[in-house]
Order: sequence, then structure tokens, then C-alpha cells
Amino acid sequence: MNQTIVSYLSQYEFYDSLLCLFGNNEGLLAFVIYLLVALIIIGFSATVGGLGTYAERKISADLQARMGPNRVGPYGLLQFLADGVKMLTKEDIMPFTADKFLFYLAPMLALVGVFATLAVLPWSNGFMMADLNVGIFYLIAISSLVGVSVFLGGYASNSKWSMLGGMRGASQIISYEIPVTLSILAITLLAGGMSFGTILSHQEGTIINWFIFHNPFAFLAFFIYAIGALAETNRAPFDLPEAESELVSGYHTEYTGLRFGFFALAEYIEVFVVCGVGAALFLGGGNLPFNIQIDIIPLQLVQVVIFITKALLLYYVVIWVRWTLPRLRVDQLMSICWKYLTPMAILNLVGCAIWLVVFNGKSMADLVFGSH
Amino acid sequence: MFIQLLFGLSALLTVGCAIAVAVTKNIMHSCVFLLGSLLGIAGLYATLGADFVAVTQIMVYVGGVVILMLFAVMLTGGKDFVSRAQNLLGLAPAMGNKWTFSVGLLVGLVVILTNVKLIMNIAKAYPAKVIGNDFPSTVSQIGHLLVKEHVLAFELSSVLLLGALVGAAIIARPRKQG
Amino acid sequence: MMSLVSYLIISLILFIVGLVVIIARKNIVAILLGIELILNAAALNFVAYSRYVTNNLDGHVFSLFIIVIAAAESAIGLAIVIRFFQIKETIHIDEATQLRN
Repeated sequence: MNQTIVSYLSQYEFYDSLLCLFGNNEGLLAFVIYLLVALIIIGFSATVGGLGTYAERKISADLQARMGPNRVGPYGLLQFLADGVKMLTKEDIMPFTADKFLFYLAPMLALVGVFATLAVLPWSNGFMMADLNVGIFYLIAISSLVGVSVFLGGYASNSKWSMLGGMRGASQIISYEIPVTLSILAITLLAGGMSFGTILSHQEGTIINWFIFHNPFAFLAFFIYAIGALAETNRAPFDLPEAESELVSGYHTEYTGLRFGFFALAEYIEVFVVCGVGAALFLGGGNLPFNIQIDIIPLQLVQVVIFITKALLLYYVVIWVRWTLPRLRVDQLMSICWKYLTPMAILNLVGCAIWLVVFNGKSMADLVFGSH
Repeated sequence: MFIQLLFGLSALLTVGCAIAVAVTKNIMHSCVFLLGSLLGIAGLYATLGADFVAVTQIMVYVGGVVILMLFAVMLTGGKDFVSRAQNLLGLAPAMGNKWTFSVGLLVGLVVILTNVKLIMNIAKAYPAKVIGNDFPSTVSQIGHLLVKEHVLAFELSSVLLLGALVGAAIIARPRKQG
Repeated sequence: MMSLVSYLIISLILFIVGLVVIIARKNIVAILLGIELILNAAALNFVAYSRYVTNNLDGHVFSLFIIVIAAAESAIGLAIVIRFFQIKETIHIDEATQLRN
């Protein structure tokens, strides 16, 4: 059963009047709804990505006892718009020896890979563009396009720094995919399904029903997921692909103007997406903090706000980590992934399975308070 | 309607990129076109209602195989990308003389006719039927099949993967020369 | 437009293109690309038949195994390519004339 936003809206009365407006053409109406929702989500995500750069500068300024951007607009809030205009008007430079086709393709791939993940992000339990029954699996799979784009961008620039950055990026992304996927698999095991709808419906109720508090293994899985997600989005302390003190700017050294903007936007939106996934998988997503049976649209909007708040809190932690921890070395990066995180993630998965068998699927809270 | 559109686009992507793989001289571009072709096949799986297989296709190929291929191309040097006689048409004279070509043409004709005959039979047996939007979830059924009927193949494939992992690490390990 | 035959034709084209790639190109990595195309053609056939003919999911399981085998094969193949390049300094298939050096 694939629930979508159209099938969710169709249970309300105004859907029928809308249908009359479109001459009872359900396909056309569905298309229009999808288009509108997609535009809203892309606009919102682009704003989050833009404001991400602002937040990054402002928070780093706070941590370093500086002012940060404060000229454009109130508190410098419009700084990202000024940056965007600057990027649009910059000259589009391509290195003479670059591989033209791949050089143009790479930023597009990054943006496509990130925007495609937005299709399944659970804003609330009704407002999802598509609640695929392979939702989380699809999200992991399609976001690996970003890895390809990092590699291609590094290769196509035909410069040593870009090449090193691209190779580091690709190897890092495919390595850290393993612990991330394994810790997500543990959650899939607990929820008994890969769709975000199933995962969210198991976390309804109070805070103790969140999967992070389901059992000790799930608690550990959240931190493995967080570390792996930091590495997968090339964020500090794992920002080796764009290590500015060694590689100038890594795989996007040679990119200017709008193409550089694509890479930057893709990175910030991807951080938001992994934070959203972390919030949905482990922290209860958009579920209201109490049990409620009625289902009306204002409550859905409240859920959206809760989801975005949780995601943005995680976003803050990501930025905070970036400006607090020093960068790792390449060999340390790989040994953390393969010698520590991956075995721990495998043990977690086995531990979750054993917990489910031994305690008959009950969570820690169920055992303590004896509910259900 | 939407599924028809998805089918058309995926088919175009698959076939076009596959042909581009064959005719592109630059091996790096070939790898990228292979990526397009594999994504198209994932789209075709989606039109067949095979959601799990489609996503696995994207996961394994985009996230793993294509990146590995790109790595291999890069590690084996940039000079050899347009190597001797990679062009399909430029290569043709070197592959044989008029006898081999005529025999090859004849064999190709026979194979194509056989295939057309086979496909005609299939077309008669399974006329085009309209598929609705009923795509039941395949995930749980595939899970049951994997651990019940196909459990031996499932376990063997895990052994195969472990062997491939260790084997690849040992083969590609740099050794002392001499 | 969508029927078993159209999937079979796509799969046939993929197979032929893969075969042509294997025969005509001399780069070992390109040959591996051709093998991937052929394996995918087979997997597509399995899923198409499972949708239109048998109505069970054994075809899906088979194509999953094909994907697994393709991944393992490409990992080993690329390891061999890299080792070959370390020895011969080229990845031209015609240089691969010795079983051991």
C-alpha cells in the first residue's frame, strides 16, 4: 500500500469540490497537487539550504566570539540572498583541460540526488509526497547519486586538488554508507517495515515511545547513524573531500558561480535531509507528544512544525560539531569506519534482533511501566 | 497514463544510454552512460511493480558498482582512456576479411529472424494487457521467499560476497615487485 | 505500448549492445561494462516474466541474486584490472597473454 499526499487529501470533502473544478479528471488533479507540493517542498528546502549557510556563519561567529554577517537585512538574515545574487552574476569559468560533459553533469547529479530524497521525507504522517513501502531504502539508495557527483566533479575538473578531493569523497561516502545502512536496518527491524508511515506509527505517543529509547541497541544505533551521516554529507570533522587547509576546496575547487552554488546548496539540503531522517527514525518524527485520535489538517501542520523543529535542532548540532572538533586524517577516517563503526553496527543489528525475540517486541518503557 | 510515461522515458533512457556506452570513445563517459542505463532499468522495474528490486538496483549499482568502475578507470591511468581501436567503426576492418564478415552477417540474420519469430509467438500468447495501478507491496513476500524457498541460494550468496570481498582485497593488494 | 513484448525487446537490445561492447572494445573496464549490461538484460527478463506470466515473485528473487552476483563479479573483475595494470602498465585486453609472469 503506497499512501501519497493525494490519497491523504482525498479523504476530505474539499477534494471532491476540487475534483469538480478539474472536470473529474483525477489524473490531472493528482498531477497539479504533486506539482504544487513539489514546488513548496523545493522552495522550502532551498530556503533551508540558504539559511543553512547563514546559520553556519552566525553560529561559528558565536562560537568564536565574533559578530558574523550583520549588514544585509535585519541581523544579516538576507545574507544568503546576497550570496545567491553574487553567485548568479559571477563568470562561469571552466578549466581549459576539463572534461566538459562531466563538468556540467556533476553539479546537476548532486542536486538531483538530493531533491529526489525529498520525495519520501515524512513531514507528518499525512503530508508525505509518497509513502513508499521501500521509503527509507529508496532514500539511502538515491542519495548515493551525490557520491557519484562528488567523484565526477573531482575527476572532471582535471586538477590535482579536485582529483584528491573527489577520490576521498567517493571512498568516504561508500564506506560510511555501510554503518549508516546497518543502523537504519536495526530500526527497520523494530518497526517491521521500511515505509516512513510504518516507522512513524510505531513511535506514536509520548517520548518514551521513540525508537531511540526502545532498547539500548537502538540508542547506540542513533549515535552510529549520526556519525555516519556526518561523514556521508562531508561535514566536519569528516570534511576531508573539501579540506580547505589541504586541498583548497576539494572537489569543487574549479567550480564557480552557479555550479558552485549547486554543490553548496546540495550539501546544505542533504544535511537537512539526514537530520530529518534521523528525527523521523529515532526521535519520533512529527508525532505529537501525546496520544490523539482525531486527524484534521491543522494538526498535520503542527506535526510539520514539530518535525522541522527536530530536524533543525539536529542541524544545529551538526554545525556545532563542525566548529568544535578538528578534522581527522584519512587513515583515521577509514579505521573509524571499518574497525569501529561497522562492527558496532553489526552487533547492534544482532542485538536488536535478539532483544525483539527475548522480550517479545516490547520496548524498555513497556517492560518498566508494564503497558500494553 | 503516468506509468506509460514512466515506461517510455525509462525505456528511452535505458536503450539510449546503452547504445552510448557502446559508441562513446571515452571510457569515463561510458561509465556515466552505464549509470544512466542502469537508472533506466530501475525505472522499468518500477513500472513492473517490482519496487524492492528497483531500489536494490539503484542501491547496488549507483552506490557501489559504478563508483567502483570509475575508481578503476581512474586508478588505471588517464592516458589510456582513448586506447588503440576503441572506436566501433574504426575497428571493423581489423576484425576480419570479407568472408568472415559475410558469415557474420548471415549468422546475425539467422539470430535476428529466430528472435523475431520467438517474440512474435510470445506476442500472440500474451497480448498487451492494461496494467492498473494495483502494485501490491513485494517487500514482505520477497523476504518470505528469501528465507523459505530460496534460503540455500540466499546463504550461498552471502558466502559468495564474503569470498568476493576477501578475494578482491587480496588480488588488488600492492605486492613487492621481484 | 506496455506489454511483455516491449520489455523483451528492450532486454534484447541491451543484450546485443552488451555483446557488441564485449566484442568490439579493447579496454578491460569497458568489457566489464558490457557484462553488466548483459546481466541486467537477463534480470529485466526475469522480472518482466514474473509480472506478466507466472504471477509470483520468484523472478524478483532471481533478479536480486543476479544483482548480488553482478556486484561480486565487478568487484573481483576490477581488482584483477588494477592488478593487471600494476604489472603491464596498460589495460588493453590484447596484452593479457600470460597466465603468470
